[in-house]
Amino acid sequence: MRDSTYKKWIGWEKLLMAGALLTLAVSCADLDEDPTKSRLAPGSYTNQAELELGVTGLYTQLNGMARMTTFVVSGWGGDDITTHKVSNKADFREYDQRVVSPLNARSASNWQNIYSTVRAANSVLANAKDLVLPDMNVQNRLIGEAYFLRGLIYFHLTRIHGRLPLQLQPDPIVDLPLASQAEVYQQIESDLKQAETLLPDVYPGVLEGAPRPNKGSAKAILARLYLDWGGFPAKDQSKYALAAAKAKEVLDNKATYHFALLPNLESLWTIANRFNSESVFTIAYNVSLNVPNQKFGKLGHPADLLGWQETFAEIRFFEDFPEGPRKEATYRTEYDWENFSDQANPVFKKIVGPPGDIPLDLFSTNRNDYYMRLAEVYLIYAEASGRAGTVTPAAWEALNAIRRRAAGKPFGTPDKTVDLTSGDIAELAYTERKWEFAGEYLRWADLVRMERVKEALSNRNPRVSKNKAGELLKEANPIIGSLETSNYFAPIPQNEVMLNPKLGQ
Amino acid sequence: MKEQHYSVGRYLFVLALLLCFGLARGQSKITGKVVDAKDNSGIPGVNIIIKGTSTGTVTDTDGNYSLNVPDNNAVIVFSFTGYTSQEVTVSGKSVIDINLEPSSKLLSEVVVVGYGTRKKSDLTGSVSQVGTKDFKDQPVTRLEEALQGRASGVLVSKSSGTPGGDIKVRIRGVNSITGNNQPLVVVDGIIGFTMSSVNPNDIESMEVLKDASATAIYGSRGSNGVILITTKKGTDKPRVDLDVFTGISTVPKYIPILGAADFARIENSRRARTGGSPVFTDSDIAALQASGGTDYQRALFRTGKTNNIQVSTSGKSGKVTYYVSGNYMKQDGIVITTGYTRISGRSNISMDINSKLKVGLNMFATRENRHNEVGGAGAGSPILQTLTWDPTTPIRNAQGGYNNYSLMALAHLAYNPIADMETRDLNRIDDKLNTNINLSYKILPSLNFTAVAGFGTTNSTNERYFTTPPLPYAYFNSDKSSGIQLSNILTYEKDFGKHNVKVTGLYEIQQGDYRGNSYSASNFLVPGGFYLAELAAGKQIGNDYSKSAIESFMGRAEYIYNNQFFVTGTVRRDKSSRFRDGNNVGIFPSVALAYNLSTLPFLSNTPVISNLKLRAGWGQVGNQDVAPYSTYPSVNISGGYPFDGSTLTPGSRPDGYGNPDLSWETTTQYNGGVDLGLFSNRVSVTLDVYKKNTTDLLLNVPVPNFAGGGSVYRNVGEVANHGIDLGIAGSVINTKDLRWDANISISKFRNKVVSLDGRSEIQGNFYNADGSGRPLNIIQKGQPLGQFYGETFLGTWKTAEADAALKLGAVPGDSKYLTDSAGNTILKAIGNGTPGFIWGFNNTITYKNFDVNILINGLGHYQIMNVTNGIIVGATGEQRSYMSPSQLNQWTPEHETDIPAGGQNRTASSRYVENGAFGRLSNVAIGYTFKKIKGIQSLKIYASGQNLLLITGFSGYDPESSDDGSSNDQASGVQVGTYPNPRTVTLGLKLGF
Repeated sequence: MRDSTYKKWIGWEKLLMAGALLTLAVSCADLDEDPTKSRLAPGSYTNQAELELGVTGLYTQLNGMARMTTFVVSGWGGDDITTHKVSNKADFREYDQRVVSPLNARSASNWQNIYSTVRAANSVLANAKDLVLPDMNVQNRLIGEAYFLRGLIYFHLTRIHGRLPLQLQPDPIVDLPLASQAEVYQQIESDLKQAETLLPDVYPGVLEGAPRPNKGSAKAILARLYLDWGGFPAKDQSKYALAAAKAKEVLDNKATYHFALLPNLESLWTIANRFNSESVFTIAYNVSLNVPNQKFGKLGHPADLLGWQETFAEIRFFEDFPEGPRKEATYRTEYDWENFSDQANPVFKKIVGPPGDIPLDLFSTNRNDYYMRLAEVYLIYAEASGRAGTVTPAAWEALNAIRRRAAGKPFGTPDKTVDLTSGDIAELAYTERKWEFAGEYLRWADLVRMERVKEALSNRNPRVSKNKAGELLKEANPIIGSLETSNYFAPIPQNEVMLNPKLGQ
Repeated sequence: MKEQHYSVGRYLFVLALLLCFGLARGQSKITGKVVDAKDNSGIPGVNIIIKGTSTGTVTDTDGNYSLNVPDNNAVIVFSFTGYTSQEVTVSGKSVIDINLEPSSKLLSEVVVVGYGTRKKSDLTGSVSQVGTKDFKDQPVTRLEEALQGRASGVLVSKSSGTPGGDIKVRIRGVNSITGNNQPLVVVDGIIGFTMSSVNPNDIESMEVLKDASATAIYGSRGSNGVILITTKKGTDKPRVDLDVFTGISTVPKYIPILGAADFARIENSRRARTGGSPVFTDSDIAALQASGGTDYQRALFRTGKTNNIQVSTSGKSGKVTYYVSGNYMKQDGIVITTGYTRISGRSNISMDINSKLKVGLNMFATRENRHNEVGGAGAGSPILQTLTWDPTTPIRNAQGGYNNYSLMALAHLAYNPIADMETRDLNRIDDKLNTNINLSYKILPSLNFTAVAGFGTTNSTNERYFTTPPLPYAYFNSDKSSGIQLSNILTYEKDFGKHNVKVTGLYEIQQGDYRGNSYSASNFLVPGGFYLAELAAGKQIGNDYSKSAIESFMGRAEYIYNNQFFVTGTVRRDKSSRFRDGNNVGIFPSVALAYNLSTLPFLSNTPVISNLKLRAGWGQVGNQDVAPYSTYPSVNISGGYPFDGSTLTPGSRPDGYGNPDLSWETTTQYNGGVDLGLFSNRVSVTLDVYKKNTTDLLLNVPVPNFAGGGSVYRNVGEVANHGIDLGIAGSVINTKDLRWDANISISKFRNKVVSLDGRSEIQGNFYNADGSGRPLNIIQKGQPLGQFYGETFLGTWKTAEADAALKLGAVPGDSKYLTDSAGNTILKAIGNGTPGFIWGFNNTITYKNFDVNILINGLGHYQIMNVTNGIIVGATGEQRSYMSPSQLNQWTPEHETDIPAGGQNRTASSRYVENGAFGRLSNVAIGYTFKKIKGIQSLKIYASGQNLLLITGFSGYDPESSDDGSSNDQASGVQVGTYPNPRTVTLGLKLGF
């Protein structure tokens, strides 16, 4: 019995050894990697869905970067916006007081976001290079969007920093030099012109306000680009005529592009009306989908009203603001703001919303961004016509349409009480922009291009606003830095210069 | 893949059958008792091995044993720590009683060296051993705690004190700059465990392989050192052990924060300074003075409780030895609502099928649940938020609800951390199952084949529910990884006269895959809890999958001449899936020599020196630890965009750049050592000196933001480490009633970045929590890893400097930092957080029935960047007010101190760099053992305290903590809202019957 058990075991052992030898003989480790099981394939696109994903990804990044005030931090340089004196708003105060440090975190983060999106746009354009879709209309408009967005964000960034390194390939070049201002503008112009060619008159299946851009959106941004190009720092006066011409193309075809001024300014800044025809390019948001707009609501109120004290209105600008419906639509004039205990500054209705529209304790809202309003195209047309010396009755009519609406009148009906027909139309339109776009983070760029920073910021002390103790209020954050052109552009983030010293030259 | 599953499956099947039908044929059996030659008391746990085999047993608690021997010529070796080994030939005897001489022959122990064992006296490499006996007097809940201070060259530091939190273990410094520096953990031959998942009560011994001649057998995974863990096995006589302890934990100190009234006064003065109006009236302040406001720190911490119960049974029944254990541990953390529970079970079964074949099955299963874990330091740390939350806002409002935010928008912006902790519901549940089948077959007396087949799976699910206003949200992720390992080991060992030769050959494959699934659910329409996530308005999903494999051959040759001269040579060849063809094969050689001088005549006659051995070794090991698919560029699917404002369309974006040329990081190490035994080895000294160079570093090189940002892995650069490890162990007092054993370990090392591929520095990737968007760390050529990067603080601008201050936008009383001539702030290295000195002093004193254990350990030669303090000081990032009591002495025109009253507070500045050196009373335990109780083999009760005393100049909670996680070292020493290490007092009972 014992022996037979033993023999049986010998049999098992042989089998076992055979099994062991088998594993020795067969190389069984799978040593080839195949990342495509869980990831999208990098490289060239082969179908429409891949291109659509890539393009939508650009919007996702745009939404992510435009969500917070970081995106518009240079707007605090204007004479319309200020911030809290002491709270954690140092990055904004640096812009407000004209001492922007190379360590400014908002600049650094905005720079990073924009270039990350530039990389993605470069990658979409490179990956789509050899793609031929059955429906060329689809392909053209998707590629047109990629060009539009790359041009748009480069333009956004050059307005803050001036000269930039131009990254145009998906593979990173880590030692790029700074391009000249003209080269930067030319690149933006080239992208926007591609977009103008490729985009349709109206993007199919979208809501009002061009949440996906059309030909008219590209032309409008081009008009803004040319207006800047005519001024500081490039000062290429020939661009004013181009600005006027592009603006006119938009105005003449506004119905084609589904653009129209809203009759009533008050209705622009409500959540209910966030998709409207006045916007020539809209960035959309949604709180419940975790893609909220975090620039509004609570950020515009002082602590007296549970606010986070970020975006306050300048007192002097408020005092100078012409009375009327436009002022009412711009500010919460019903507040006893002179006696706020946290900080006495007026509150922008454009930021906190009309009464009841945004609960006091919210800063995440469904508000959309009107990246550019048709009203700006009207005023570009008027101003650029004046600067180019090609003033026409249509240019006056464009200026007057905005003035009539500001006065609470129908914008299409001539009205002798508000209409202007003589004077320096360029300067009149320039001033009209000041009031029309107050609190929309646009004023700083106007001051820069016309070299009027010193003029606008030298005297911001309140004239008449007093608290209940009868004391004249003071400007919140006095100017500390230089108001000369050498201090117009924000320094390139210090980290970037450290990683590529060519950016410091 | 198919073939492989098939072959492995069959292999396992065969083994399973063996286990099921295991029968053994009889052999001759001997029994006996092993006693102490001095007092004739039985010695438990004596190792009994048939020479030249791995067959053996150990004595039971009374010193009795029984053993089957194959034949009359078998030689039986009896060995035990502190006794001289004896060899006896069976020669027909059936009873062999042994008197062991207690000569403190520490060197006869057997040491596990990976793919085999070796006598400690024959070692050529640098190996530290920590056995149960070394930590049995400390109630350890984590394996790492057993290593701390007890093995030279090993750094153990808790990243945070959170229950079940990460613990950093480093062997001989740090090699990799951005790669993983955790040592490789091998449990019973299976590679790649996390130490946290092993129940320390199941551990028989741990061996730490330190030099490359010892670790090279693990090739591409050996560069961080290797920890080999052997779990317990059954002994002859059945026994049941019960080990119960219960403890309470407290936070050892509170960080001083401004009281509510002072806070209000400082806030008013801060506002007045810039022309603002006060936010608190005098009567407000008087009221706060009277009420004291709310102390959020004391609201967050509580007394924690720990309960641990371990039951095990072990023994031998016929041919089967077994060890079966179960463990339940429950810890309530020192932060409200936090907790950790662990349930684990182990079954180690081993069968002698016959004289040639031995089969074992080890199974281990565990479930861990971390509840409301306060993990992740940085801006989101509840500790940090608590330390900086507005003391003038009560936790609850008059209606009984929470005050969600500061009522005056002061101090920290975050959601009320007490409300957060009390209403969140987070559960991280880790389930692990490991099965390890091992088989040993003696083909010839000198030739042995061993196979180890292991299968392990880990399911980690993370369920998180937060109530942060306005609406609750939930997050879920599940990470499932599984791996198989198959090792085939052939060992040949034979004596040829004075020559002993041992050759080991290995073929091994290891393969694993990972599956990750997650969803987030935001804006609950109806608040309710994690399981109502279906009601969330916003939902997102995420998925990931990856797999990796490694295939290896290893050969090792050991040669001994006359027990005097020892040589070991090894070579391992690894082929890894993580790299592309042409870069995926690595060859890792090593050689080591040892010479035993104690046999030489001039030493053997010396009474003082009982042992003297010199060792030297060289070897190369690798690090392949990059994520799978790192050689490929990647495209991510990103959240999506609401074109219509109400539905999301998914989008993609480029992510990783991919580097097809990626390959191993290689560490070349030289080691020289001396083993010295004095006074019949009553004192033993081990001294090792090493130097290692790591080349082709797997460096995560940052890509500038304008080029797309992020980082890309490249094989660039070189890091050097050199150091000394010293271990001294000895019996200070050794009398019949009183015995004092002491063990000292001291390690000193220096780390230096030798080259960075032509660059002088590379920015790190540990970003500050103050929203500055800048890394806190930098890697600089010529400097050690762990450099802090930031501003140099120069105190305050004085009234006399008003003009100079104004040029930089500052006024007197504002903070002042070092600037260049153009007025730009200079950023540079301002400290270093890599400890360069580790020490430990472990004492066990036995007096009659009492025993006492005292463990003291510490770290030195490093600094801490105390960002926590920077944020407490405040006016930075999301913390808008001053909160530090130092502010009571802030600058005034009359009293111009260097505590700024305004200006930028840069939290990554030299102002917050502190010395980290510390010494800690880690463990004090006193126990009493009851002897000779009927029906009970052993009974011991004990009381102990951990972390009772900390001596340091550091101002934060604990200098040992670091927020860079357990695997990485480039931001070592950075603290941003770290969870403090608790102080614990424990009562316990150990019962054996």
